[in-house]
Amino acid sequence: MATAVDTEPSVPTESAVPEEIQGRSLSAIAWGRFRRDKVGMWALGILIFLLLCALLAPVITNVMSVDPYSLNPDALDKENGGVPLGCGLPSSGFFCGISREHPFGVEPGTGRDLFARMLYGLRISLLIAFSATTVTVLLGTLFGIVSGYVGGRTDNLIGRFMDLILAFPQLLIILALSGVLTQRLEAMGVPEGNPARITYLILVLSIFGWPYLARIVRGQVLSIREREFVEASVAMGSGTRRILFTEILPNLWAPIMIYATLTLPTYIATEAALSFLGVGLLPPTPSFGATLADSVTYMSIIPSYLLIPGTLLAILVVTFNLVGDSVRDALDPRAGRV
Amino acid sequence: MGKARPAIRAAVVVAVGALALSACGGSSSTSPSTSGAPGGTPTKGGKITYLEIGEQFDKVDPQRVYTGEDLAFFSGTIFRTLTAYKFSHDPAEGTSVVPDLATDTGTVADGGKTWSFTLRDGATFETGDAIKCADIAYGVSRTFATDIITGGPQYAVSMLDIPADPAGGSAYKGPYKKTGQALFDKAVTCSADGKTITFRLIRPVPDFNYTTTLSAFAPVPAAKDTGEKYDASPISSGPYKIQSYKKGKGGSMVLVRNDKWTQESDPYRHAYPDSWEVNFGLDSSVVDQRLIAGASADQTAISTGLTPASLPIVFNDPKFADRRTNEFDPYVRYLAVNVKKVPNLKIRQAIAVALDRDALRTNAGGAYAGDFADGVIKPNIGVDFAPTTLWDGLLGKTIPATGDPEYAKQLITDSGQPAPTITFDYPNTPTNEKAASIIAASEAKAGITVKPNPIEAGQYYGIVFDPQKAHELINSGWGPDWPNASTVIPELFTKAGGFNLSQVDDPEFTKASDAAKVELDRAKQALAWQALNKKAAEQVYAIPTRFGRDQRLPGSKIGNAYLWPAYGSWPYGDMYVKTS
Repeated sequence: MATAVDTEPSVPTESAVPEEIQGRSLSAIAWGRFRRDKVGMWALGILIFLLLCALLAPVITNVMSVDPYSLNPDALDKENGGVPLGCGLPSSGFFCGISREHPFGVEPGTGRDLFARMLYGLRISLLIAFSATTVTVLLGTLFGIVSGYVGGRTDNLIGRFMDLILAFPQLLIILALSGVLTQRLEAMGVPEGNPARITYLILVLSIFGWPYLARIVRGQVLSIREREFVEASVAMGSGTRRILFTEILPNLWAPIMIYATLTLPTYIATEAALSFLGVGLLPPTPSFGATLADSVTYMSIIPSYLLIPGTLLAILVVTFNLVGDSVRDALDPRAGRV
Repeated sequence: MGKARPAIRAAVVVAVGALALSACGGSSSTSPSTSGAPGGTPTKGGKITYLEIGEQFDKVDPQRVYTGEDLAFFSGTIFRTLTAYKFSHDPAEGTSVVPDLATDTGTVADGGKTWSFTLRDGATFETGDAIKCADIAYGVSRTFATDIITGGPQYAVSMLDIPADPAGGSAYKGPYKKTGQALFDKAVTCSADGKTITFRLIRPVPDFNYTTTLSAFAPVPAAKDTGEKYDASPISSGPYKIQSYKKGKGGSMVLVRNDKWTQESDPYRHAYPDSWEVNFGLDSSVVDQRLIAGASADQTAISTGLTPASLPIVFNDPKFADRRTNEFDPYVRYLAVNVKKVPNLKIRQAIAVALDRDALRTNAGGAYAGDFADGVIKPNIGVDFAPTTLWDGLLGKTIPATGDPEYAKQLITDSGQPAPTITFDYPNTPTNEKAASIIAASEAKAGITVKPNPIEAGQYYGIVFDPQKAHELINSGWGPDWPNASTVIPELFTKAGGFNLSQVDDPEFTKASDAAKVELDRAKQALAWQALNKKAAEQVYAIPTRFGRDQRLPGSKIGNAYLWPAYGSWPYGDMYVKTS
């Protein structure tokens, strides 16, 4: 082991396995590799911190006595376009509008506290991204396994269906259909307003996302189904369902995990982009995209209004990606980073 | 000037506005007319670039243009009308009528029911054909083809002496169907020499010569009319003609001199620049940045409003002092209350009382956004304005600008109904999103639930005018078509009106409004409008939020860049490019 702890983990791992052979599961081995990945651990630390912030948002805002919804007209300069006090003047500094009461500043026009809004925005972003990822993984795995194992016409049918979805101009469809489909969801009994909009976002993100995972899974299944243990299971007369879900599926969780951790940040970014374009949640619900859309116009006079949410979003996406990379390295050490 | 620009462009108009006093930190309001005038005498030549956020003009067909800025632009450049507004920065002078195609401002007879205009000699279309009485009559007749010529003012339909058909529309169906053509030919007649046009009206209209300033009364050569398609390439009668018109992002409209036009036949327009170029689909903050930076190509550029974010930059920097403008525009911003959906008066009053108008104004730009409004008639209209005391006791109590949720709760109790849940329709822009949050938050304090309903900006007015789709509270703005509240009260609050978002249909109100329309004594008429404005405020057909202001920054080499009170726009026929 010596000093070379943070080099490529493959060499020490190989030597480590035989030493502690008893009682180490696949996940324990992977976790061991992950722990040695400094970047991954840092990213995971930041991520856990952000997740905790999102979970504890009501507690934190309570302690700081800020609120994402209440208006603060006193923090605004009514004679100067309604921007936060101290902003937009020739003497204004880069961090105008930021104070001890409002560590991230306030929103121009309403004076709502940006720190609280970002915390609550984080919750919504994560809620949508996590749910969409879960649905994507479920759909992708199911169709991938069936397609790969059953083969033949079913494979063909699912394959062409995936091609069809992948060929759709995704963003255009999402924007164009948002109004109609949200109303349809409401008519189907999803509570009106934000629940319907959140459902819509989760649905469209996962519907356009699952074919990528399904293709990966299908490829894996094609090779796994020729392995001896599958053949043995078939020979013993197991049903298709048993073969699919107890023989093949456990061998797939590495690619699925990798895919899921890398998809999450994409969905966070996509959700922000969609609400930036106006297909987001209804006001007054906070969201990164809506805040960014508003902040762009104020860029030159309140730079922090754009930079703080922008940076937060970037940190969130980058840490998720780094964690995703590390998970892949840990689960699949031969792949190596590109 | 009809409807306030909806959509993205409205967002700009809505969001701007300010008291010069506060904006300049105590310096007195600089008269924008000084920005051009002392710089030198106007000279011909050059090109003015118009930086536009919208991806096209709403309409270019003269009978269909109805947005204030567009009316001003096209009437200053390509459409001549019988009469026009004087080019002046002065509120009274800038809304006074002067002759354009006509030799004078019209001859009235029959107690205001007959108006005739004599045409100037030498006026021609871009084709070189002389503009005759028949061309003007034909242009007016197009307004009646309401299936094809949509979106324009309907004054010709409501004023000319043509009976209604059983369905309530005009018995004349326009020059394409020709149903009832004889009725029209009787109402609008030409003298034998084709020099005089006479309009016979169904009721006395003492200010009909204001109506004729609208480009809906511009001449159209019948032989060149392509119906719906005329919108793409109308025939010019003014000093410029359309050289090219490409819609969309990166598109442009180029106007070049119309060589058939002569200054002798048109003493009204100055036509200083050699050409105009309208650039479409620009980002509003980019437009502001270009004008603020003032690169050489942008020194001869104009735009139609600053975004709120640019106001502190422009109004805190003395280098813009001699060219920035900050004036009242013609518009009143209000929230229309749909009386079909909120029939209970006390509930409507409760909604108005609970509203935090102060926060709404701050969100729209604070002092730049304008003053608090107490009715749909604005002081700069002149005699028709009188305070309605809406917030000073009309509703039973003085209501602070931040709203009075306790009193609103009491009104709800008095109404005998539970606190309502209402939906607020608005064009989907970041500023409006914040406004929706403010409305929801302030109404919630009185127990009223407000659901936001963002509508794609380009489709906004199309949706809220559909009674099936409109909700309880509707974001809106309106400016008079000429300085008479006959273009406000009947338009907004009677069934026949063109902008009745509130869906008011009160027989008593309509009767009083119809009577006021035909009142020939201007002083009595003003009193009638004042009373109706107060009545509408008390009935809360609309919650007036702001008498809007408008801020602009023209390029440094634009002369005569003042806000023209007639349309709350640039005086397009009076602007020039400074040579030095």
